[in-house]
Amino acid sequence: MKIKIGLLTIILFSALFVISCDDFTEIDPPIQNGVSGSANFSRFVSIGNSITAGYQSGTIYESGQIYAYGNLIAKQVGVEFQAPYVSDPGLGGRMEVLSLSPFTLKNNSSSGSLLNSGYPAPYNNLGVPGALIYDVLFATNSTNCASAVFASTPNPYFDIILRNSVLNKGTQLQQALSLAPTFITLWIGNNDVLGYATSGAISPSSPTSATQFGQLFGGIAQGLSQYTSQTGAKVVVANIPNVSAIPFFTTVGPALATNPLIAWWQVALSQQASGLPATGLIYMSHEGGTNLGTLPYQVGFADSVSLRNTTTLVTLLGSSYAPLLGQQTGKYYRDNNLTIPLGVDTTKPFGFHPQNPFPDRYILDPNEITTANNAVTAYNSTIAGLTTNFNFGLVDMNTKFNQLRVADFTGGTVINGITFRTTYPTGGLFSLDAVHPSSQAHGIIANEFITVINAKYGAKIPLVDVAAIPGSIYFAGKIGYQNGYPIIPDNVFNHLLF
Amino acid sequence: MKSRLVLLLVLLTLITTNLFAGGFQLNIRGAKAVAMGGAFTAIADDPSAVYWNAAGLSFLKGTNIMFSTHLVAPQTKFRGVSPYVDQYRSENRVFFPTHLFVSHTLNDKWAIGLGFTQPFGLGTTWDENWPGKYLAIETGLTTYVLSPVVSFRPIETLSISAGFLYGFANVKITRKSPLSSLFAEDAFVELEGNDNFAYGFNAGLMFKPVPVLSIGATYSSEIEYEFEGTATTIAPSQFSSQVPSGNITATLTTPQNIAAGIAVDVTKDLKLSAEYQYIGWSSYDTLAVDFENEAFIDIASPRLYNNSYIIRFGAYYRLNEQVGLMGGFYFDNMPVDPENLNPSLADSDRMGFSAGIDAQLFEKLKIVGSYLFISAEELTVDNSNQIYTLGGSKFNGTYNSIANIFSLSFIYSL
Repeated sequence: MKIKIGLLTIILFSALFVISCDDFTEIDPPIQNGVSGSANFSRFVSIGNSITAGYQSGTIYESGQIYAYGNLIAKQVGVEFQAPYVSDPGLGGRMEVLSLSPFTLKNNSSSGSLLNSGYPAPYNNLGVPGALIYDVLFATNSTNCASAVFASTPNPYFDIILRNSVLNKGTQLQQALSLAPTFITLWIGNNDVLGYATSGAISPSSPTSATQFGQLFGGIAQGLSQYTSQTGAKVVVANIPNVSAIPFFTTVGPALATNPLIAWWQVALSQQASGLPATGLIYMSHEGGTNLGTLPYQVGFADSVSLRNTTTLVTLLGSSYAPLLGQQTGKYYRDNNLTIPLGVDTTKPFGFHPQNPFPDRYILDPNEITTANNAVTAYNSTIAGLTTNFNFGLVDMNTKFNQLRVADFTGGTVINGITFRTTYPTGGLFSLDAVHPSSQAHGIIANEFITVINAKYGAKIPLVDVAAIPGSIYFAGKIGYQNGYPIIPDNVFNHLLF
Repeated sequence: MKSRLVLLLVLLTLITTNLFAGGFQLNIRGAKAVAMGGAFTAIADDPSAVYWNAAGLSFLKGTNIMFSTHLVAPQTKFRGVSPYVDQYRSENRVFFPTHLFVSHTLNDKWAIGLGFTQPFGLGTTWDENWPGKYLAIETGLTTYVLSPVVSFRPIETLSISAGFLYGFANVKITRKSPLSSLFAEDAFVELEGNDNFAYGFNAGLMFKPVPVLSIGATYSSEIEYEFEGTATTIAPSQFSSQVPSGNITATLTTPQNIAAGIAVDVTKDLKLSAEYQYIGWSSYDTLAVDFENEAFIDIASPRLYNNSYIIRFGAYYRLNEQVGLMGGFYFDNMPVDPENLNPSLADSDRMGFSAGIDAQLFEKLKIVGSYLFISAEELTVDNSNQIYTLGGSKFNGTYNSIANIFSLSFIYSL
């Protein structure tokens, strides 16, 4: 009898066990093995600068790096993508929001640690913050990169990312090719003009020349072409956006022009009364300014219209001094330990009087904008020509960034219910450093790449859901506040690389 | 001695908190009923009749105490969000719903009973950083019902019953809330509330026209819970004045149930039963939370459940005077359209497979043990109304749920 019960029980329970095991079907991801159309991402590498690295708000940190456009593309095609992750808050000095109203920034003084430095091969993400086009071909470490060779400023990111003391695999390009990649993205050259523009056309005093850019880009493209013709690997290149679409340049000028505390017409009247040839914000100018005859330097004039229309740009670094306009102050010279130049009288109204002009390094005047734009046009023409020659894919990032900027004036760019603008700091497209794209903007960039890849290679890679990417701005502890402009302490931008 | 036993059982029942299955209605009461697939309305021949069909009490003899405990181990997996196929598992939690029933026959016609049960409950915990973090992290609902019932058997073949349902419940919901599309950090919101007095009623009927045939029917009303509690929000201090917190009220109505079943003695030793249960799930249309502070926008999450049904089959085979074997099966129709599914309650069509054994160990003590396996049909949602971002991103993906339930009941007849 007992045996019978036991047997029945065993039968019943084993029947249940069988039933319980078959409730799970396999679901296939949209892209399998990283192959779609003739695009094969099984070994995917991304070459570039800080944007490619996923650098945001002044540093690289994991919660931003994982949304770098290369990482996002890799996720869409379901392949592994190794990157030089640094635990939050990054390598130091991440910009964070101290207070929302008024908007105040603070550098986070903590540093994270390198999370993936032992990875035994070159990273798939070979974006190096600060890299110039020269570096892709020639830099192997912090001391032979362009900034070290030409400006005596070693860039430690080359050591952190290329790790040649261990790997000994060479430059960004060499490391990329050593991975025997099947797919390569290249986005380089932004810094060749940004360094010039962000320093108010001072250091360096000119963008990388069109000729030099052509030679360097040609070298890179040739190297890639040689590799792709042997292997059938695919290359997609993005071109360079204009600097005037970036909030680093477009924030402070319009804020000054529309500030109700500044009576621009009164300023203009008093400037006219003192016989000045033009009116508005008066800044020191090292090229293309007006020689007033009485001063040992030249000055430029930017009236409120040109500030609002961004035909003269005030960089975000100038934000610290914008609230001082009209005051009798030499704070700029004190803060930066500068000798007051001959002819400057800090008892004159700051920025409104030729003898106390707004600092040159915070202004990109119309001539300088033209220089920057011409450089970008020349770079992009080189990029377009060579990508056509070598049958690479071309992502017109310049047009995309310009579209995003133009849309600011018509309600913004709405993506899946979220409105994005280039405006700083609330627009959502740029991180707190005002130069580097936010995580969501990386989603937009990834989609530009994917759209080109799908069209050129007959691929069906799904677009990234930009709305599903979280924001990337962090808060710092809260303290008291003062009134006025975005409060950006002088040193917040000091360590910034582009 | 007896009173101490009762006290112990009551204590055990009360300390068992927060117990939920993969679903929101827990039809798990008494090992025998569970073992027979819940097709028990027409049988109701142990003190759990207080819940299943109190009209069955009139057919019992003497005074009976039933203590019943269940180990419920649900598991839900989510793969998504489409087109991704990343897998997320709800935290493995084990719940111990415990019930206590007492029945007493006053005379040939009248019987009374008292039950303490946990008829509704749910509990899911997802990782606090999973993609659905704005929809659900921890969701817990426990309801307790104390029900005195009376059964009247005017004629030999028929009895009817009526009972009062005194309910109390607590609810806890945690999830994250995005501050803005700009910021990496979220607000963490925790809502907690309880209702100590809610009520409803039930009624039952049992008809045994011939000794081998039994027909049962029951009705159990809605219970409307009005929760009062607090909302706590943790957010960066820059946002602290803007995030909702403070006293809240919320309303939740548990559905009405109508069940009708039939049981037949096919042979002297084999009883078969079948049952249809109708559940008024449309009562669960919105999960609304109102803030006392007018400055905060009230939360209203549409749930849009539909009325639903369960079909149950059970068998009891008497091996000998002491031992019986049981088996059962049920089909539980999904009460919500897939597009309205929220990950706090991963519903789907469910099938239950059960088996059990009972043994009259001593003259006065019977022990019943059973095992129930619940398999939810794999459900792929491809047009979800559940938005999991600040934009319009739909929470599409594939759910798989199962639950293992072990039950043990002790019936002590005085």
